[in-house]
Amino acid sequence: MKIRFAFLVAFVVGAAGMRLAAHHSFAAQYDPTKAIRITGTLSKVEWGNPHTYFYLDVKEPDGTVVTWGCEGAAPAQLSRRGFKRGDLKLGDTMTVDGYRARDGSHLMDARRVTLADGRIVSGGSPGDGGPQ
Amino acid sequence: MTSLLCRAAAATAVCATLATAPAFAQIPELSADDVKSTRPTPRTASGKPDFSGYWKGMKDTKPGGNIGKDLPGWKLPLTPAGEAALKRNLTATVDPEAQCIIGGIPRHNASGLPFEVLQGANKIAFLYWYNYFRLIPIDPNRKHSEDPDPSFFGEELGRWEDDTLVIDSVGFKDEKVWIDENANPHSDALHVVERWTRPDADHIHVETLIEDPKFYTRPFTYSRTWVLGAPTDQIAEYSCSENNVHSDHLGFGPGPIRPDGTRGYIEEAPLPPPLPTP
Repeated sequence: MKIRFAFLVAFVVGAAGMRLAAHHSFAAQYDPTKAIRITGTLSKVEWGNPHTYFYLDVKEPDGTVVTWGCEGAAPAQLSRRGFKRGDLKLGDTMTVDGYRARDGSHLMDARRVTLADGRIVSGGSPGDGGPQ
Repeated sequence: MTSLLCRAAAATAVCATLATAPAFAQIPELSADDVKSTRPTPRTASGKPDFSGYWKGMKDTKPGGNIGKDLPGWKLPLTPAGEAALKRNLTATVDPEAQCIIGGIPRHNASGLPFEVLQGANKIAFLYWYNYFRLIPIDPNRKHSEDPDPSFFGEELGRWEDDTLVIDSVGFKDEKVWIDENANPHSDALHVVERWTRPDADHIHVETLIEDPKFYTRPFTYSRTWVLGAPTDQIAEYSCSENNVHSDHLGFGPGPIRPDGTRGYIEEAPLPPPLPTP
């Protein structure tokens, strides 16, 4: 628990330290009224610039599966917080809290990520004008 | 450098912050005055100040990303054409920088991102995250071209005025440009004069004069100070267009501008509570 708390603190401090470093405005892409949580199976990871993306296959109530794209900060930003590419393994079950894209697509801002091992990490892009 | 600075710094907290702040970050806990320096301005063989180093922004740069930072109420003196251009930027254009188009000057000077300077005898290079650079000749005899090819950084000419490096820039693009992160405009009539100084080893400062008679009724100024990063800090690879998934999902403009002059919503819906840790 102490380790997890330390991670969280590190991410909060790291996020605060990178204000104004975002590549695009949160408000230009995401709906602040649509805070959502998804839980699904990790099916794809794109660990690149200007943003990382990872994709979760999420089972809907009717049994269909929808793939959600989750946008995170740039690799350099995440890795400096201690969130590494190796923390994501295809097939992992993960939960992501964030905001849905304004255009209604299955894309969300990955503000808070609960990894398969239970660690909670900050995935958001600091300095984008979104919640820190 | 950090250890030397720590000896000169007034507070232990300052030292700790400088030593641990990530290279990608500005130093939000500190203002320029918080960082004390007793070390003199480094100089080149010719005796001029050497601006080389990795430079990080400070918390007193408020509002960040807003080129009207130093104006009352951050109110820019827009002409009617400038007002129309701003309206177009807000309602019909996607942030060029978010599409991996060069932010240019003066936008890069208003950015929260650190930058690196490498200085030679007759040229100075500014290196930016996103892997952009500008390379400026320092030559008092150079004159602006009659009809320079428009560019995002403009045609930049450097010269010394005592210990001040003056960079005079004209020849800017008038499309796919925002003058700052809040979507304020500039035209191809933009003229930027940057006056860079390094008052000591640990600070770098710019006084900027911005003229654009098409879009602004009068010249205005923008000033800012950065603090020296750690010796190991440097710009790293950043392939901006490697995976621009978001570009198909971005709306026009920067979104709402808060009363404090920064972009963003005032209050978002709260996220669900964190899951209990196992």
